[in-house]
Amino acid sequence: MTDAKTHTPGAHLSRRSFLGTAAVTATVTAGGLWLPRAAHADTPKKGGTLRLGMEGGASTDSFNPMTLSDEVPITLCYAVMNGLIEFDAEGLPQPELFESWEVEPGAAKWVFNIRQGITFSNGKTLTADDVIYSINLHRGESVSQLKGNLEPITEITKLSDSQIAITLSEGNADFVALLGDYHLLVVPEGHSDWNNPIGTGAYLLESFEPGVRAVFTLRGDYWKPGRGNFDRVEVRYISDAVARTSALQSGQIDGANRLDPRTVDFLAQAPNLNVVRSEGTGLRYVFCARVSDDPYTNQNAVLALKYGIDRQKIIDNVLNGYATIGNDHTINPNSPFFNAELPQRPYDPDKAAWHLKEAGLSGSEFRLTVSEGAWVTMPDCAQIFQQSLDPAGIRLELNKVPADGYWSNVWRVDPFCGVIWGSRMTADENLTVCYSSTSPMNDSNWKNETFDKLLAEARVELDQGKRKEIYATCQQMASDEAGHVLFAINDTLDGYGKNVMGVNKHPRFGFDDLRVAEKAWFA
Amino acid sequence: MKRYVATRLALGLVTLFCVTVLVFVATNMLPGDAATEILGRGATPETLARFREQLGLDDPLVLRYGNWIWGLLHGDLGQSLTTQASINEAIWPRLWNTLRLAGLTALVSVPLAIGLGVLSAAREGSFLDRALAMGALTAISFPEFFTAYLLILVFSVKLNLLPNLSTIFPEMSFLEALRAMVLPVMALSCLVTAHMMRMTRTSILSVMSQPYIEMAFLKGVPRAAVITRHALPNAAAPIIAVVAMNLAYLVVGIVVIEVVFVYPGLGQYMVDAVGKRDIPVVQACGVFFALAFIGLNLISDVLAVLVNPRLRRPGGGR
Amino acid sequence: MLLFGTRIPLSALFGATVMVLFILLAIFGPWITPYAPDATVGKTWTGPSTEFWLGTDNIGRDILSRIIAGAQTTIGIALVTTVLSFTLGVSAGIFASVGGPVLDNLLSRVVDMFLSVPVLIMALIVLTALGSSIPTLILTIALLDSTRVFLVARAVAVDIAARDFIDVARLRGEKMPWIMFHEILPNAMPPLISEFGLRFCFNFLYVASLSFLGLGVQPPQADWGGMVRENGQAIAFGILAPIWPALAIALVTVAVNLVVDWLLSRNVKPSGASAEL
Repeated sequence: MTDAKTHTPGAHLSRRSFLGTAAVTATVTAGGLWLPRAAHADTPKKGGTLRLGMEGGASTDSFNPMTLSDEVPITLCYAVMNGLIEFDAEGLPQPELFESWEVEPGAAKWVFNIRQGITFSNGKTLTADDVIYSINLHRGESVSQLKGNLEPITEITKLSDSQIAITLSEGNADFVALLGDYHLLVVPEGHSDWNNPIGTGAYLLESFEPGVRAVFTLRGDYWKPGRGNFDRVEVRYISDAVARTSALQSGQIDGANRLDPRTVDFLAQAPNLNVVRSEGTGLRYVFCARVSDDPYTNQNAVLALKYGIDRQKIIDNVLNGYATIGNDHTINPNSPFFNAELPQRPYDPDKAAWHLKEAGLSGSEFRLTVSEGAWVTMPDCAQIFQQSLDPAGIRLELNKVPADGYWSNVWRVDPFCGVIWGSRMTADENLTVCYSSTSPMNDSNWKNETFDKLLAEARVELDQGKRKEIYATCQQMASDEAGHVLFAINDTLDGYGKNVMGVNKHPRFGFDDLRVAEKAWFA
Repeated sequence: MKRYVATRLALGLVTLFCVTVLVFVATNMLPGDAATEILGRGATPETLARFREQLGLDDPLVLRYGNWIWGLLHGDLGQSLTTQASINEAIWPRLWNTLRLAGLTALVSVPLAIGLGVLSAAREGSFLDRALAMGALTAISFPEFFTAYLLILVFSVKLNLLPNLSTIFPEMSFLEALRAMVLPVMALSCLVTAHMMRMTRTSILSVMSQPYIEMAFLKGVPRAAVITRHALPNAAAPIIAVVAMNLAYLVVGIVVIEVVFVYPGLGQYMVDAVGKRDIPVVQACGVFFALAFIGLNLISDVLAVLVNPRLRRPGGGR
Repeated sequence: MLLFGTRIPLSALFGATVMVLFILLAIFGPWITPYAPDATVGKTWTGPSTEFWLGTDNIGRDILSRIIAGAQTTIGIALVTTVLSFTLGVSAGIFASVGGPVLDNLLSRVVDMFLSVPVLIMALIVLTALGSSIPTLILTIALLDSTRVFLVARAVAVDIAARDFIDVARLRGEKMPWIMFHEILPNAMPPLISEFGLRFCFNFLYVASLSFLGLGVQPPQADWGGMVRENGQAIAFGILAPIWPALAIALVTVAVNLVVDWLLSRNVKPSGASAEL
């Protein structure tokens, strides 16, 4: 047991800097004592049935960690399973089933200690084999969406029943945060029946009808103190926003996710409701121009679009002010690496017209493909974009396509279309996934060797100050040169009944990182 | 008559077969497949190829269709590509939900529509006739989700009388279940009543000037009796056709109502499956939808023959 | 009221007036909108005021201007699709009723098949194959809708085809087209006119739902059904924005059907039948 100070965010920041200076093997113990942050604010009460109404799922969902991609199935998985790493309210990685870790200089060799005395819902005790199996689900011959992120892992070795070593092909100071990905859920070795999940979580699955409802009952004696407080949790699929808010207003459910920013003010006024708003953490709304396709190969054409969008008007009229203005790159505005020096790109029709003229494209027309498939209000945002380009003399034709199959038919196919980017927990993952030359998800096809080099440098650069400088340059480059017209980052808006306690903002997902089932309690 | 029904049943099977082929080919023609839709944006060519192999999407279309229809003939609807669960098990509760909602709505709306239609016809041109027409027409001018939202606003949010979540769970009592279904039944009734009511009114009026009706009037039969006993049976053909069409709509066309009232029926199941290109599920839903259409059409044709004796003579009824 | 020597009931007159008004709106709409229909001119979802008579929509555009500007697209598409689907559906329906059992079965089963394939899949296939444009939208709706018209037309026509005067006509040696269009069609008219009045209304909404899927009217062009859809959820919070386009649809529907009712009341006497019996 080490002292509890290591749980504070400051300690973790210092861990990062410590990594930077340590020349010998650095030992990082995050501690075996598990102290949830909310614990000292209020004492949780036990009992009751929590009823949640959620959007972000379908009748095709299952408990398969390899294909998890939307909020309902992630919530369901977190009710019965645990991850290796959990993110706290500041977005910093905290121990979950990995109790502590050590890293060698260069950040390529990691040793993780597995929490002891934890049992799965089938009675089996958690060991290194289970953890290795669970990580390997996403490696090698796997179809997992996480496969790409875990590619740098060259070897996982079992040191003992409670310890494993992971070797990376190149150092990554943020590796622990990578292990906090929601796909990385721990199941017993050999388990593959994804309709009957087995995990170490607070609840047991009682019944599951995909697309309708999942019911959980408390397993009893959860290993995280102060968590797992409800006797029963019901998660209902309610994809219609009006149905969700009406059910919340009339007390048929205790919590609703993804509230509509245009009507959330009505809910905030209701005496029996609480609205939890997380700013700058939601989805990045992007109109993505592919810089490998004409006319976007001309940097001036893209700049014309970036100057010609009235970001504030979109935020006011479509998002009712519940968004942070975007500066054409994907880094979180509350990330320690956010480049605050980079001036916010203004709405400047004259400048837009000038860039268009420079590009030799005056009088030509752009065509933007829009769809509710990326985000529901995209057509609305695009219409204001269209209007705001007008004074610059830029004509924009909107081509609305079905939501059906949007990500496979339009995204990465159409040279100018709408895209959303979710919050990524580290600057490295953010920039690598969105803008590095080798990323399969680099949707604006912007490829820049200098940028790649800077990114690789930062990944093993262990001095925080230098790292921040490098990332600042990266943000500047992406903002100026990549094809992302990234105009807003929406707020995550959740609604709860007044009696639901212990729910906080979270920098990753709404519903308190989709762990509301284990975190909350009734007053 | 028996021969007619037998022929129609046989033809119905042929139609059903054609529909399954059509749905299968159409869904396969849509861009993307289960692998791309499940793996989403993080998919790489390599994981896609592996997933396709796992799901059996590499097999030739004919083979996949053959396997499916072979299973169907043995009462097995197959396995969902996305959840890997048996479709037989997943589809029954949803089918039952769909039929229950459609049935209940039909029980309310068909008698209501025909009753009001007869009333309108009997009082043609009166204030009542006009008021009914205007009310019914306004009701169908509102898109279904809009009618539903209005009902939710009034009955759930403002008055807090009825739940707006209509899913029925096994732990609910009969009365609770019935209460949960009030709003969707109301919304659907608003949508289908007008059509049937208008057709009843028109069809009755269109036979009112026929000689045998005039004869009945001359014989001194009261107007109400003339309408119900003489006019209605002769006007039945288009009414039955429209009723059948609306019942079919209640079975297959109510996705929006299912979504707004969170009522898990077949419609939403199929829409989800189309989105994820879960072809066996699309196929299974398609079969039930086609059965509903073909069955209702058959029943409506048989009824039309039964109520109108003229159609039963050789050459007429066919 | 008397017009050209015919007594017109008040309801029909009201219907006709509204229809004329809306037709004028459809023609002259673009010149009389108070604001540019596509321009964001105010805050989102403000209520009716002296500035914006019907308030503003989901991105702060003037609703009145959009209703006026949308009249042309909305009424135009609904009218063209309904006329097309009736021409197609009624011809096929009557043809099936007199063309003999083989033809009847063939047509009816093909229609069954069409109806059985879910609209969503149909729409997506059309989009994949033909892309999105207003002509595609019109053809798709006309084709899908004609199958429903066929069902009603056939049911009515089969009933009429079994009547004695058709046999009489056949014995007289009349040709098939003559029987179809001179004997059956006039007698089938009343239910079909009534059906037309309703289908016209359904098509307003059909346009909106297919446009929602991405097939048809493209933003920022206004159509009433689409306006109800874009603003729909506001009604759950008591915001009136979606009511106005919905009322516009209702007004046109009621008007058309009031005129239809009047036509029916004048026209219920079957033309051929009583003459020949």
